[in-house]
Amino acid sequence: MSHPSDIVLFFGHLHPLVVHLPIGLLILVALLELLALVPRFKQVNSNAGVILALVVPGAGVAALCGWLLSQAGGYQENLLHWHKWAGISTAIACAIAALFYRLNLKTAYRWCLFPSVILLVVAGHYGGSLTHGSDYFVRYAPAPFRSWFGTQPKAPPPQTNQVEMAQLNAFSGVIQPVLQQNCISCHGPEKSKGALRLDTFDGVAKGGKSGPAIVAGKAADSEILKRIRLPDTEDDHMPPNGKPQPSPEEIALLQWWLDAGASTDKKVGEMKASPRITQILAIKFGHPLPVAKTVAPKLLNDVLPQIAGLADELSVAITPLSPKDPWLQCNASIAGTNFGDAQLAKLAPIGPNLRWLDLAGTAITDAGLAQLAAMPNLTRLHLERTQLTDAGLAHVSGLNDLEYLNLYATGIADGGLDELEKMPKLKQLYLWQTKVSPAAGKAFTEARTDRDQLQRWQEEIEQLNAKIRDAHISVDLGTISPVIASTNAAAVNTQCPVSGKPVDPSKTVVHNGVLIAFCCDDCKAKFQQDPTPYLAKLESKKDPQPASK
Amino acid sequence: MQPIPSFLQQQTRRTFFKHTGLAAGRIALASLMFPDLFRANASTVRARGHPVLPGLPHFAPKARHLIYLFMNGAPSQIDLWDYKPNLADLFDSDLPDSIRNGQRLTTMTSGQKRFPIAPSIYKFAPHGQCGTMVSELLPHTAQVVDDLAVIRTVYTEAINHDPASTYILTGNQIPGKPSVGAWLSYGLGSEAENLPAFVVMTPRWSAKRDAQALYQRLWGAGFLPSQHQGVALRANGDPVLYINNPPGVDGTARRTMLDGLAKLNEASFHRFGDPEIQTRIAQYEMAFRMQRSIPELTDISKEPQSVLDLYGPEVKQPGTFAASALLARRLIERGVRVVQLLHREWDHHGDLPRDLPLQCRDVDQACKGLIQDLRQRGLLDETLVVWGGEFGRTVYCQGELRRDNYGRDHHPRCYTMWMAGAGIKGGTVYGETDEFSYNIVRDPVHIRDINATILNLMGIDHNRLTYNFQGLDQKLTGTEAPAYPVKGILA
Repeated sequence: MSHPSDIVLFFGHLHPLVVHLPIGLLILVALLELLALVPRFKQVNSNAGVILALVVPGAGVAALCGWLLSQAGGYQENLLHWHKWAGISTAIACAIAALFYRLNLKTAYRWCLFPSVILLVVAGHYGGSLTHGSDYFVRYAPAPFRSWFGTQPKAPPPQTNQVEMAQLNAFSGVIQPVLQQNCISCHGPEKSKGALRLDTFDGVAKGGKSGPAIVAGKAADSEILKRIRLPDTEDDHMPPNGKPQPSPEEIALLQWWLDAGASTDKKVGEMKASPRITQILAIKFGHPLPVAKTVAPKLLNDVLPQIAGLADELSVAITPLSPKDPWLQCNASIAGTNFGDAQLAKLAPIGPNLRWLDLAGTAITDAGLAQLAAMPNLTRLHLERTQLTDAGLAHVSGLNDLEYLNLYATGIADGGLDELEKMPKLKQLYLWQTKVSPAAGKAFTEARTDRDQLQRWQEEIEQLNAKIRDAHISVDLGTISPVIASTNAAAVNTQCPVSGKPVDPSKTVVHNGVLIAFCCDDCKAKFQQDPTPYLAKLESKKDPQPASK
Repeated sequence: MQPIPSFLQQQTRRTFFKHTGLAAGRIALASLMFPDLFRANASTVRARGHPVLPGLPHFAPKARHLIYLFMNGAPSQIDLWDYKPNLADLFDSDLPDSIRNGQRLTTMTSGQKRFPIAPSIYKFAPHGQCGTMVSELLPHTAQVVDDLAVIRTVYTEAINHDPASTYILTGNQIPGKPSVGAWLSYGLGSEAENLPAFVVMTPRWSAKRDAQALYQRLWGAGFLPSQHQGVALRANGDPVLYINNPPGVDGTARRTMLDGLAKLNEASFHRFGDPEIQTRIAQYEMAFRMQRSIPELTDISKEPQSVLDLYGPEVKQPGTFAASALLARRLIERGVRVVQLLHREWDHHGDLPRDLPLQCRDVDQACKGLIQDLRQRGLLDETLVVWGGEFGRTVYCQGELRRDNYGRDHHPRCYTMWMAGAGIKGGTVYGETDEFSYNIVRDPVHIRDINATILNLMGIDHNRLTYNFQGLDQKLTGTEAPAYPVKGILA
């Protein structure tokens, strides 16, 4: 089907506007005729002719517009077929009824009028289904009545917790509801604009007129995400401008699913999720966020008495980070291999106060790191040059405040990175001389980079820059030529500053940008030789008008 | 060591009151802060290191370590960092009086008839993402310029080496004040058990032999307890003299001897109460432990070749700047707080094109190697690296000016230093000098501000780290003029 011209679509889109007036009028005529059957009201139908005269052209125009609209395509063929023919039949039935009325064949007129109302109801039902979906009426019907309409009993709202969430199918449980919410009304069973259906995975994979909607594993190349991310002023932006838009969180979920391979059978728990995705999922499924294990540190003065003895016993350095905070730093690397798991365990009493911990080059083991659970407030942790392997990182990944983690020259391999992906605040990670492959390092960086957020910030920056540009005002006075005192300009004085006589306006000197007049050339020459003594005089005798500076 | 005069000095009325008063105050303070300590055993002399001062750091530090690369003699900022392309057209023209403005000169050029401009013969190019202009003499440092904050507008008042070096490294032109490293050792304490808190190295240099002298006071403790002075490792031979036991003395015998000595010293401490005796005990103990730690420190055979390559070909020759830079990294890894390298002979009054490239070759690759090595180990986040001399050099030529040869006199009114690492905003260029690299146009940074910045990054408010001496609360940044950390280079 060739794409209809704009003018066809313009009149087509008038269909919902013009269709409802003749509907109302037709029902009104039918009601009047019904009422006239009661002897007491038999006069009420006396004006039916006038109304019918409005109904017939109205119905004709509405049918014509509807036919034009159907040219746009994208509607479910079956529903459209029934709506079209029921609508046209209604218009024709109205016309015939009007004809009988005009010929004064009242019985035939009535026998024609009432079937036309029935046709109207049929056409209206299909029209509603086309626009709002076939289950529109009964979608929220109370449970006892649902079976009457052949509707499925409503499923209880999902009560998902973390474990079940991991078992949830990523497509049917997470992605499909997003599509359902935002896309199905135009790309679903009733309407499939652009020959695209997003109600099933097959439809998503098959795509529409513009090609496949998704590229598995590449969110950035997927048409569906490209369209969503277009500025909403673009014609190709989806959902169209004015329709409800998917939230940034929903877009992030879509991107996550596409990047992970757009699989239909993977469970949420089987896919890598960045902290942001985990958070979105948790919020979306009503699961309370994992509450960070915060253990309040003790007051600095309460731990200070302990630290001197502890430092001496363990041969480590323990110092406060500042007198204002309760935080401590501990450098155990100076004890070298004399410091091991047993010694780390002895730090537990001051654990909640430890902010920086340097275990570089110590004899600490994977199992010994379980003691880190007693130090939940760490922000910097040195584990370089130890026997640490991936197994030990399980104890590290629980440190929710950790920003700096040094793992160089340890037994960490690619698998260990998976543990670290969950750490929300990690900013610096050192992996030199480990078995971590460059590819895994890159993938980790990528997984931890929130491109959406970066893009949003970039857009914000651009908007702010635009605001800054808008805030500037440019005032152009043309090119200002340097002030040249011409003989036309008025002197600032009327009395000669040298002699005190009235001035001759043609004998002037510009001094400090001010035009000064003299009585004669002699006085002018005297002034030019040394103006200082006369300036004071001038100052006092100057005319009240201010001198321009 | 003259026992009788020092004994007499200890016994003056003043020292008596000063020490007893201070001791009583300290005990009172300490018993408030560490009550448990006093219940235990207050009289034992602390053998291990020395603790941080109460109340320090003043705020959470950015840097745990400082590596100070001091270029003694004053490198020419015009030939290395302060790019002045327009000078090329002014070759041999006179420096305008309006620029010099009657400023005093050293006696080396004050008698000169004219002050002809000597443009740098070295090419500059933008480097890194930041595009900072760097001279072709520093091709390696240029590779890490994105990590550096280059300050082009450092200035000082001193115009001769001795007072100027003393000024920037101790905060005063007059000798007798503690050095930067000593202040940091005093304030932040020592972490390393087997090494001093402050280590100094004086690597050898390549250009002409007659270099400006170094003085022990540049890393001295001044009026602070002498345990805070920098311990200088020797550039040639064994880094520490007599580190090995003499023939016939084994470790046990040495230990027994030291224990006996410590008992004698403690007895004399209890008799006279001079804290310097405690320092002496601590130093003997430190020396004993260094007998083990120094050989391990200087054994670089386990360093991978890729790491050695970072520092350049000279890294395996002990006493070179490259070898010292590698040792600096190894020292801070072992908990040393401050490492200072003093590289001599940057004083190019004549034949600058002959000597400056040799000097740059000494330090250039090692500076880069140090920064890259610290970065890959995650130590650059915790270590502040400072590079610079005591003043700058003049735009005008000292002596005969030729197209390919010139010399430059001392110039205190502006010069370039750089900082990198913990808390530093990399890729920054701070400050602007005039077209002649003679006066500061924007953002002046006094050497006091440099010291205030260093202390700030180490977690210290320079106004609050003080020591009462001669009736004055002395501090590194002096008491004559205010000093401010350079906010513009802080991350």
